[in-house]
Amino acid sequence: MDMELIRSLQGWGYVAMIFGLTIGFYAYIYHLYKSQRDGTKDYEKYSNMALNDDLSDSLVEEKYPQDNKKDNEER
Amino acid sequence: MQSSNAINYDYTIAKCFTVATIVLGIVGMLVGVIIAFQLAFPELSNLAGEYGTFGRLRPLHTDAVAFGFTASGIFATWYYVGQRVLKVSMAESKFLMFIGRLHFWIYILTVAAVVVSLLMGITTSKEYAEFEWPIDIAIVVLWVLWGVSIFGLIGIRRERVLYISVWYYIATFLGVAMLYLFNNMEVPTYFIAGMGKWYHSVSMYAGSNDAMVQWWYGHNAVAFVFTVPIIAMIYYFLPKESGQPIFSYKLSLLSFWGLMFVYLWAGGHHLLYSTVPDWVQTMGSIFSIILILPSWGSAINMLLTMKGEWGQLKENPLVKFYVLASTFYMLSTLEGPIQAIKSVNALAHFTDWIPGHVHDGTLGWVGFMIIGAIFHMAPRMFRREIYSKKLVEAQFWLQTTGIVMYFTSMWIAGITQGMMWRATDQYGNLAYSFIDTVEVLHPYWTLRAVGGLFFLIGVFMWAYNIYKTATSSRAIEKEPQYASPMA
Amino acid sequence: MFHWLEKNPFFFAVGVFLVIAYAGIVTILPDFMESARPLKGTKPYTTLQIAGRQVYINNSCNACHSQLIRPFKSETDRYGKYSLSGEYAYDRPFLWGSRRTGPDLHRVGNYRTTDWHENHMLDPAAVVPGSIMPKYGFMFKKSADLETAYAEAYTVKKVFNVPYDKPGMPKLGSYDEAKKAAYKEAGKIVAGMKNQDVKDAYKNGDIKEIVALIAYLNGLK
Ligand code: HEC
Repeated sequence: MDMELIRSLQGWGYVAMIFGLTIGFYAYIYHLYKSQRDGTKDYEKYSNMALNDDLSDSLVEEKYPQDNKKDNEER
Repeated sequence: MQSSNAINYDYTIAKCFTVATIVLGIVGMLVGVIIAFQLAFPELSNLAGEYGTFGRLRPLHTDAVAFGFTASGIFATWYYVGQRVLKVSMAESKFLMFIGRLHFWIYILTVAAVVVSLLMGITTSKEYAEFEWPIDIAIVVLWVLWGVSIFGLIGIRRERVLYISVWYYIATFLGVAMLYLFNNMEVPTYFIAGMGKWYHSVSMYAGSNDAMVQWWYGHNAVAFVFTVPIIAMIYYFLPKESGQPIFSYKLSLLSFWGLMFVYLWAGGHHLLYSTVPDWVQTMGSIFSIILILPSWGSAINMLLTMKGEWGQLKENPLVKFYVLASTFYMLSTLEGPIQAIKSVNALAHFTDWIPGHVHDGTLGWVGFMIIGAIFHMAPRMFRREIYSKKLVEAQFWLQTTGIVMYFTSMWIAGITQGMMWRATDQYGNLAYSFIDTVEVLHPYWTLRAVGGLFFLIGVFMWAYNIYKTATSSRAIEKEPQYASPMA
Repeated sequence: MFHWLEKNPFFFAVGVFLVIAYAGIVTILPDFMESARPLKGTKPYTTLQIAGRQVYINNSCNACHSQLIRPFKSETDRYGKYSLSGEYAYDRPFLWGSRRTGPDLHRVGNYRTTDWHENHMLDPAAVVPGSIMPKYGFMFKKSADLETAYAEAYTVKKVFNVPYDKPGMPKLGSYDEAKKAAYKEAGKIVAGMKNQDVKDAYKNGDIKEIVALIAYLNGLK
């Protein structure tokens, strides 16, 4: 490959990434605030994971048993 | 593994790393104070032959505070916070306990090897990556062990969603792993040539390439050792100590991704005006400026968490540590991008303004956060009150004074020297010889060294306070939910 | 999709990794291919110079000295022609430094001499009053490590095709040849020095660290 080509690939790679991430990022913002407003998910309740973190404190969201298998495969 | 209510969180490993944090903090900062005095009073460089020279001690200082004090602080808080926010005890898995112990002991051995080899002058010379290949391998091993700990604990967690701090710990793990591996690619010469020192190696990259990889690493190591895990800490300890939920959990998620994305592009700003293509340089500057936004997202989020609760700042010295830490975080994330502007960099690069910038970040943000975190953990790990509130207060003010002395003197020193280097007389000749620009710094270097000494004394006060807390302070029956009890 | 990422630590980790790795690939990789080429006159270091360079590294002279002259008039006036990328093609590792506590050394060979270095390394403040550089008397006693230096040269020749033994380039050859060449090169430097111990050692076939270091510094042009 000559340098010209590599340079333009680099330029395009850069532009693609900026585009992809900007869209992803804003979609995420939209998603966060929309699910909060619609009441599908209350993100703010996760703050309580730090505040009520005793072993006997109630869980914010229980890990479903069926998730177990998948999680164990992770590294 | 089934839950039973009799189980408690197991802080064995967290305690080990707490001790390591304190000891290595003292070692690293003591060496730092010594070399600061060496610049002001150069005779001090000649007291211990080759082992006492500035060049030998400087890497020891940077590595001991970065990979000693800070890394053990990260590990200590992980082994504490990780269990709590995932709501699972290390004691529930023999395997994880074993990995944790192994992690700790390999870490200690590695640190010992680092100290000895740096004093002997065994170094690759790349900043924050000075270690020769045998130590690099040990570091990879202990890093993998830490990874097993993290993902192992996550695997057996009860809480389904990962708390934001855990995100940051994972990012630390991955980021450092990638950076470290690529920057330390080296070829051991003994195995190729069959002679010479067995531990010697030569970098895989040459010249400008080596510089590019090194500063890609150097910059991002700052991100993933001095920023990301420290944010993990503040997102846990500030809310917990103050009893206030994070101001906006959503904002914390957004700043996480913002930070991940942007930080990595900014490495080019260490190479301004070097032989690296213009293109990378400009990109580095621009992204460094954009970087202010997500960084401040976290800092503002932290400060707003205290909204309406500012009274705590008066009553609780730990909250003071955390709030001042976020303030310093804002300061240095503003200062960094300013230094990355090309024309500012032309003046600031190679001067004391750079170490000045590093230290308001490391002392103010990293140092205060780790010190504050361990103060919070101590009563819970040892089931005793913090030994003395007065001492915590005194430490806070002494160290704050030290930091202010440090960075103000370095700002003045840096800008003075930068201006003198470029000053010309009316005929366009250079106005000062190099040594003029060194001698003028003497008062600032003295002030800086004294500032550093104040901080070091504060660290000794901290160590004493924690030691007393662990051994002879009044016992507490029930774990406090929020504010840490102190006498 | 976002919900799913938040509760799947594995894919979450992969996502983080992709974001940070991609940045590295795009910013660094392409420039790799370009900036590695040596300038026309740039030559690899001789064995003795490598030994000196290793002394420089062992003592982290780069903690106080840069080797990078930026393209500003104030710097070219002080240190000489500004640095070009190709000049570093054989520098493994690079030694640009990050803090100029002492002056830049990239072209110090143009304006400092063997005897100047000898006096200066022994007691910097005696040569430059007010200097804060440490004294390096021990370099007059410790012997240079030619074996490791040769191992390094041999390794870069084998692994990275550094053009030793090519026409117009420094000769490396076998260890014995390299040692002889280093000895000859050191002779010229020792002749310019006053220190009797260093001279005596040289007669006995022992090259001191200071000699190798000066060979390296003299070669920085
Ligand atoms: C504490 C920082 C420090 C360290 C470490 C240090 N130097 Fe220096 N060096 C200085 C200062 C300051 C000067 C300027 C004053 C002088 O010439 O002595 C200087 C000057 C020099 C000069 C003269 C440059 C000129 O243009 O006049 C040379 C050559 C030199 N140093 C070589 C070395 C070598 C080789 C080492 C490592 C063995 C080293 N220095 C380590 C601070 C340092």
